Amino acid sequence: MGLSCEGTLLRAVPGQFIMVRLKAGNDLLLRRPFSIHGIVTSRGNPRGIELLYKVVGKGTFRLSEYREGDSLDVIGPLGNGFTISESYERIHIVSGGIGVAPLRFLAMHIERVTGGKVKPQVFLGGRSDADLLCTKEFIDLGLPVQITTDDGSSGDQCLITDPWEVSVSVNPPQMIYACGPMSMLQCIGGIVSKHGLLCEASIESAMACGIGACLGCVVRAKDINEQYKHVCIDGPVFNIQDLKI
Amino acid sequence: MANHPKTAVSIGPADLKNCVMTASGTFGYAGEFAGFMDLNRLGGIIVKGLSLKPSGGNPPPRIVETACGMLNAIGLENVGLDAFIEKKLPFLKTLSTPVFVNIYGTTIAEYAELAQRLEEIPEIAGLEVNISCPNVKKGGIAFGADPATAHDVVTAVRRKTTKSLMVKLSPNVTDITHIACSVVDAGADALSLINTITGMAIDVETRRPILANITGGLSGPAIKPVALRMVWQVAQKVDIPIVGVGGIMGTGDALEFLIAGASAVQIGTANFVNPKTAVEVVDGIEAWMKANEIENIHEIIGSIRV
Ligand SMILES: Cc1cc2nc3c(=O)[nH]c(=O)nc-3n(C[C@H](O)[C@H](O)[C@H](O)COP(=O)(O)OP(=O)(O)OC[C@H]3O[C@@H](n4cnc5c(N)ncnc54)[C@H](O)[C@@H]3O)c2cc1C
Ligand SMILES: Cc1cc2nc3c(=O)[nH]c(=O)nc-3n(C[C@H](O)[C@H](O)[C@H](O)COP(=O)(O)O)c2cc1C
Ligand code: FES
Repeated sequence: MGLSCEGTLLRAVPGQFIMVRLKAGNDLLLRRPFSIHGIVTSRGNPRGIELLYKVVGKGTFRLSEYREGDSLDVIGPLGNGFTISESYERIHIVSGGIGVAPLRFLAMHIERVTGGKVKPQVFLGGRSDADLLCTKEFIDLGLPVQITTDDGSSGDQCLITDPWEVSVSVNPPQMIYACGPMSMLQCIGGIVSKHGLLCEASIESAMACGIGACLGCVVRAKDINEQYKHVCIDGPVFNIQDLKI
Repeated sequence: MANHPKTAVSIGPADLKNCVMTASGTFGYAGEFAGFMDLNRLGGIIVKGLSLKPSGGNPPPRIVETACGMLNAIGLENVGLDAFIEKKLPFLKTLSTPVFVNIYGTTIAEYAELAQRLEEIPEIAGLEVNISCPNVKKGGIAFGADPATAHDVVTAVRRKTTKSLMVKLSPNVTDITHIACSVVDAGADALSLINTITGMAIDVETRRPILANITGGLSGPAIKPVALRMVWQVAQKVDIPIVGVGGIMGTGDALEFLIAGASAVQIGTANFVNPKTAVEVVDGIEAWMKANEIENIHEIIGSIRV
């Protein structure tokens, strides 16, 4: 979904998100968080942002009813994006399902800031072929893409972390960017700490405000003194080693 | 009408430029909302519940949306008194809007110590005492569930503070007017009501409660009728100002509370839905007064016709 907009939203960086109001009367009261999937440009100028979403419940269903020309009430950009550094030459991007939403924006951004010199290796996993999104976009950027599905309908029938772990042990990357289901992130977290790697993951949690006011969006921190981190203001992108997931 | 309507109200010794405040736990420490409004246009700001020592709060999930509302079990996560003074207060001091600190403890001594330490800070206009939390010495029963215990807490705080003393009542009681009268007797300057109503939600597939804490506090439009009824009941029993809270999403809701007998209102969950709600209600009340040729907000307060 593309949204034309103005102001700070056009300066959003990969990993940041927006809070979308889908309210119908007093139903669907709380805003829903969505990652920024890309910046839409026309004649080289930023004109809007893109979202990629999966219908999982009432709010995302409501979003699917919006049509061209409708307007959407959003707050953002919110949160901290991925750390991007010119010193990372060997990068892995690991995505599970809808986790690809912020990662495609990230890949495009890396392409732009490095002038196409850095080519991250992309690992896309999904339940089935229909869950594999953006494959073409990554290929169009000239990136090597590895695909797996749970049911074997596309690519190898295994978890994406299987081929990824093999690749990691052959040639460890300097930075890994990941987003996907908690089970995938848990597995990645384990491998990352085993091999002493650097990994940033975008995390999901239930949110009410998105701006640090409700304290509803916590994840467990590894540092016992800190106890919890707030996904909306401390994240949603975290060094995976800082979390207990 | 040429004159600007007068919307100022007093909550004990604290003078508010208008009757719209923001509710504890829904407005952070105010800075979070600075990008959405001029905070100095608000009548009052109530910051997140504060305890002596920092508290991490409950494990996630802490929130879930329910029909016309939400449940929360944040578990009173807060930075603790020292970090509040060091990190949050400097910004709050820059505001002209009166700031109230919502305090809670697990013993009466903790409430008293908080009140004493905050008494030294002139920029704090008042305290809002949250008596909905469990009393560790009485087996975890909420201070606010028993008139005698509520009286003890408020008496202890009153001894330590000359600031505006507002007591926040829990709706999870059999007769809220009993608690209200007892707290007034102990020296409260104002009452705020209501806090959240205890509730729960279950995931049918897993048969597990959705909140890690199992139960949580219901807030939002779903609780407005209950809050309104309680404000109306308490208004008939006490002579001190009442601050109405619960499901206020816009000007119309706020006016209902004023008519029922509240002198001021607090905006809670609505801050999450539309972060500008509180200033919109400030403007909305003024506009409504102008349209109805009402010069002073006191003409509305308690004007219910039954
Ligand atoms: C920072 C952040 C970025 C996000 N970015 C995207 C994105 O780019 N695209 C996208 O499609 N989604 C994204 N999500 C998830 C999205 O916010 C949820 O899918 C959405 O809120 C669900 O709303 P709903 O009303 O449709 O479902 P609800 O009615 O709230 O829930 C219906 C079902 O969905 C499940 N559910 C609730 N929350 C989530 C969740 N966070 N993830 C998965 N299932 C959930 C519930 O358990 C329930 O079974 C993001 C979440 C966060 C925190
Ligand atoms: C996320 C959240 C956190 C809250 N934290 C506190 C708190 O720390 N202290 C308190 O007295 N009330 C707290 N409350 C209760 C609100 O201040 C308010 O009384 C209640 O939500 C009802 O108003 P509303 O329906 O307008 O939200 C909290 C409410 C929510 C939703
Ligand atoms: S979503 Fe409210 S604090 Fe993070």
